[in-house]
Amino acid sequence: MSRPFLGFGLGLRTDHYQHVIEHRPQVDWFEIISENYMVPGGKPLANLDKIRADYPMVMHGVSMSIGSTDPLNQGYLEKLKGLIERVEPLWVSDHLCWTHVDQVNSHDLLPLPYDEATINHLADRISQVQDFLGRPILIENLSSYVSYTQSEMPEWAFVSEIVKRSGCYLLLDINNIFVSAHNHHFKPETYIDAIPSERVMQFHLAGHSYNGDMIIDTHDHDVCDPVWALYEYALRRFGAVSTMIERDDNIPPFTELRAELAIAEAIAAKTLTEQQLEISGRALLRGAA
Amino acid sequence: MGGLDQLRQLQQDFMHYVLGEQSEIVTQIESTPVLSAKDRLDIYATAYKLRLKEAISTDYEVLHLYLGDEQFDNVMEDYIAHYPSRITNLRYYSINMTALLKTRSPFNQHPVLAELATIESSFANSFDSHDRTVVALDELAAMAPEAWATLRLAFQSSVQILPLAFNSFEVWRALSKAQTPPTLEASSESLNWVLWRRADLISHYRPLDGAENAALSLALQGESFAVIFEALLDFYSEEETPMKAVSYLQSWINEEMLSGLSY
Repeated sequence: MSRPFLGFGLGLRTDHYQHVIEHRPQVDWFEIISENYMVPGGKPLANLDKIRADYPMVMHGVSMSIGSTDPLNQGYLEKLKGLIERVEPLWVSDHLCWTHVDQVNSHDLLPLPYDEATINHLADRISQVQDFLGRPILIENLSSYVSYTQSEMPEWAFVSEIVKRSGCYLLLDINNIFVSAHNHHFKPETYIDAIPSERVMQFHLAGHSYNGDMIIDTHDHDVCDPVWALYEYALRRFGAVSTMIERDDNIPPFTELRAELAIAEAIAAKTLTEQQLEISGRALLRGAA
Repeated sequence: MGGLDQLRQLQQDFMHYVLGEQSEIVTQIESTPVLSAKDRLDIYATAYKLRLKEAISTDYEVLHLYLGDEQFDNVMEDYIAHYPSRITNLRYYSINMTALLKTRSPFNQHPVLAELATIESSFANSFDSHDRTVVALDELAAMAPEAWATLRLAFQSSVQILPLAFNSFEVWRALSKAQTPPTLEASSESLNWVLWRRADLISHYRPLDGAENAALSLALQGESFAVIFEALLDFYSEEETPMKAVSYLQSWINEEMLSGLSY
């Protein structure tokens, strides 16, 4: 798929259901957390259907555990496919991580060692998932707090090689690059410069917290100025990329979050041309990806 | 060892560390000038517990209010120690809470704890259970008289019978309205409650008397009305029983508990 530009979106959160349903605020699209709707029925799915009727959506998962050495979780993938059929998202993403081993789940996005064997494992598993879902997926770079002695290359080389071999796309989390750059002492611009531009399909923006010498990806604050600056750098490098803000804790009223999204719109407006920022017509269609 | 085996060993070692078990992972993590490998790993171990506690706290708000922070934290610590997560979706992580509170000391010495957990997990099950069609009363009117004996009912998947030995529903109701709960009392006889979700997606609950509990339990098990009539004879005379059975059926339909009639 070529890169459609959806404009500027927000993560759909339960705190905002009522506001979104009643006021239908101007937001170009919503990203949902897939697992929140992997339930049999009731209000979660009823609200999802109502909001989907008015907005384009993309799906973002946290449990695929694509990097685990356990077999792929077929039950999970079947539920994901069922939800894809219901939502008809523009695209589907998950993280470049592992979450479980020996069937014990950490419910966390755990980092992988950056080496050749892991690249082969990931490329193979992503291909299997894409074959099963019948569509390419997006994978997201993590915030991480450890690095492994067995790693043989920097994260950006690891990510770029997996994308190349598997044919998947990238959900580039600008805040995660900033957080990991701080925690692992590299320049975030180096990361962005190394990523293959044609594979970048979406950006995430979020806030974070300082925990001593580490930055933790907490999604509980506004996006900070250095991350906005990095976002501008990324726009210059990649051009128009569908952008959204993730907020998962200390969630403000919808109007405040919408005002924060306007900062992203303003940065894009001063960085890119009007032509670049034209929302793809296909983005308005269901199941366009 | 190399390749995938090495990755698997690394993941197993990492998970052992996160779970607080013996692990060699620390030797495979780089230290930085300001943070040791252990300090870096502890970020994940701490986050693991916090995440599971957040999931449990979301599911058992009233149990938390009843116990207070310290005792509820003891419950969560015990739960996390006994139930490493084997599920994919955190929504279902705490489903064994009633079982834990019924079996583990000292919690099992306070039966109200397991009953409060049952009430809260039943609401959660009802909240996002399957959406099914709702039977209307005119479907009953269309039934031929001879069909009654073989009539079987299909229920909304939200319909659950809760056996409670104490006035736990009153305790739950008061706490969920931020009111002082009544004194805990054992019911004079074992009391059953039915909890279900109506078509407007709101969950409801009410107590069942012995006869209706017997009828509803059998109906939920898929038994025919002939079997339900038979069971009701323990409570009512032969003359009263058919009318009673029909009135139960009508109320279950009016309350939108049923999803289908087969006969």
